Amino acid sequence: MSGRTAEQRLRRLLVMLPWLMERGEVPVGEVASRFEIDEADLIADLELVAMCGLPPYVDEMIDVFVDEGTVFVGIPRLFTRPLRLTREEAFELLVAGRAAMQLPGADAGGALNRGLRKLADALGEDDTGVVVMSVTPDEVRSLTAAIESRRRVRIGYRSADDADPSDRVVTPFRVRHIDGNWYLWAHDERREALRTFRVDRIASINDDGEATVDPPEDLDGSEVEWFGDDVPRVLLRLGPGARWVLERYPIDEVSEPDADQWCLARVPVTSERWLARLLMRLGEDAQVIEPERYVGLASSTAAAVLARYDVR
Amino acid sequence: MAERVERITNLLALLLATREPLTLQSIADELHGQYPDGHDARRAAFERDKALLRQIGVEITTVTLGGDDAGATGYMVRPDEYELPDPGLDSDEVAALQVALAATRPGSSTATEALWKVGARRSTDPVSVGIEVPHLDALPIVRDAVVRRCVVRFVYAGRDREVEPWGMLLRDGFWYLTGYDRVRSDRRTFRIDRMESAVDVGPPGEVEIPADIDLTTSLPDDPMMLGADHHRVRTARVIVSARRARPAIADLGAERVVQVHDDGSVEVDVPYANTAAMMSWVLGHLDDAVVVAPEDLRDDVVSHLRGLCR
Repeated sequence: MSGRTAEQRLRRLLVMLPWLMERGEVPVGEVASRFEIDEADLIADLELVAMCGLPPYVDEMIDVFVDEGTVFVGIPRLFTRPLRLTREEAFELLVAGRAAMQLPGADAGGALNRGLRKLADALGEDDTGVVVMSVTPDEVRSLTAAIESRRRVRIGYRSADDADPSDRVVTPFRVRHIDGNWYLWAHDERREALRTFRVDRIASINDDGEATVDPPEDLDGSEVEWFGDDVPRVLLRLGPGARWVLERYPIDEVSEPDADQWCLARVPVTSERWLARLLMRLGEDAQVIEPERYVGLASSTAAAVLARYDVR
Repeated sequence: MAERVERITNLLALLLATREPLTLQSIADELHGQYPDGHDARRAAFERDKALLRQIGVEITTVTLGGDDAGATGYMVRPDEYELPDPGLDSDEVAALQVALAATRPGSSTATEALWKVGARRSTDPVSVGIEVPHLDALPIVRDAVVRRCVVRFVYAGRDREVEPWGMLLRDGFWYLTGYDRVRSDRRTFRIDRMESAVDVGPPGEVEIPADIDLTTSLPDDPMMLGADHHRVRTARVIVSARRARPAIADLGAERVVQVHDDGSVEVDVPYANTAAMMSWVLGHLDDAVVVAPEDLRDDVVSHLRGLCR
């Protein structure tokens, strides 16, 4: 038996039993795959609840047994309905539904919206105060259409804030909005590898024929290079007021904060301009430790900006 | 002694089946041999089981009994509080919810359990387009407060706040709470991830949400208007150089341009209520943006830059 806690086992049982009771008999493999549980663990848990009992149903309160690879459930007495949604669960469903309604292809009269309304009625909660807004850029619509019709595209891509776009031929697999930015997962022809691209840096999208590469089996499990080794790293010392940088950008490593709550972070830097902008905004909450050539970047940039203010 | 999962399952079954609240003594009698004999050990084991049941979302009713058991506490679980009402989802609705979860909360075990409860399962089909919804522990708490009309208290920007919540909004990857700040006697909007303390929730029914509130339009459109005094919106005059003029106009809207200079640079009026966000916007343009007015904003930018020149 794997080391599952009593809580994990009980949660699973209380949602599995009503589902089994509604069906009467189900192959063990199907139950295990649906409820994402090991077959041996599943059988152990079902045998355990079969032994549960109170007078007058000492041995048959939960009438369940496993025989030749099939789960059989007899007369349903208790646990015929799942436990109510917890507040966290209700929130996840609600927000997932609201967010998905903002995606291309969602339809107010469609199944998702109907399902969400039924859930809201069943839960008896008024969620009009929870609003999800997301603007889908045209690029996202074009890329989604390309993914769904299995097309390859040629994109004009700016690799840094101020670079001119260069052409890349890619097979798009997925577009996703994370922390305020849209990202594209795609196979890059030239690099022959899975890469991520920021959608706001895509200047143009043109069809380039049928897709030549299949999406990886498990896109989430695939190694994706957010920033290749060719992107230089800068070691920054960040004060408490600069802590948001750690959440906002992909960071290679962060040290434990020292006594004054400052920490060291190794940050990929796509362009000197990007670093200069970051340093201007952070002000005295950040210091460049290395490389040497960027140590003076904040003061030289600040001096250049200050020069425009006509003050001394 | 029985395995703990077995004992808790029996306990839950007993509390669901009973029509009257049961004392710990009668619970232990019914589940004979499953709880330790010693008084303290029995109480401790029962408290742990009860805590676990509450942790997974079981509502346990407790009452102080009279009669023979006067003063003792009785426990029961009301089936209508335990059971999820059947939402009656059709199979296409179930499928749509599965896709919605896969597109927004991939990998969340809470979402998966929620799906199981409503008769769905986690989808393993690839999703071509998705919005990853940020996770914050405070979100379900704030949502609850909005739904049940509770006043919330938390620390924000170093100050204690007491807010009547009107609604919450997810936009561009961030969650916001909007409502009436009782301490400042004004309407405010807060970034939920920037709350500096746990959210303390008051009793239900204490908030009246103004009827004319439309969250989709009433929240400020840009970060420069956030978390600040809505009655004190100010306007900054900024000169943006020719090479950054086009993206800046795209960002602000053409109606904000007050003058186009011969060299291609533009003068724009930028409304703001939040000085820090306004400064961040200007500084992000490096030497391509200069604040002309107001004087105090200009001074703030200059002293910020001087600090960096040291």
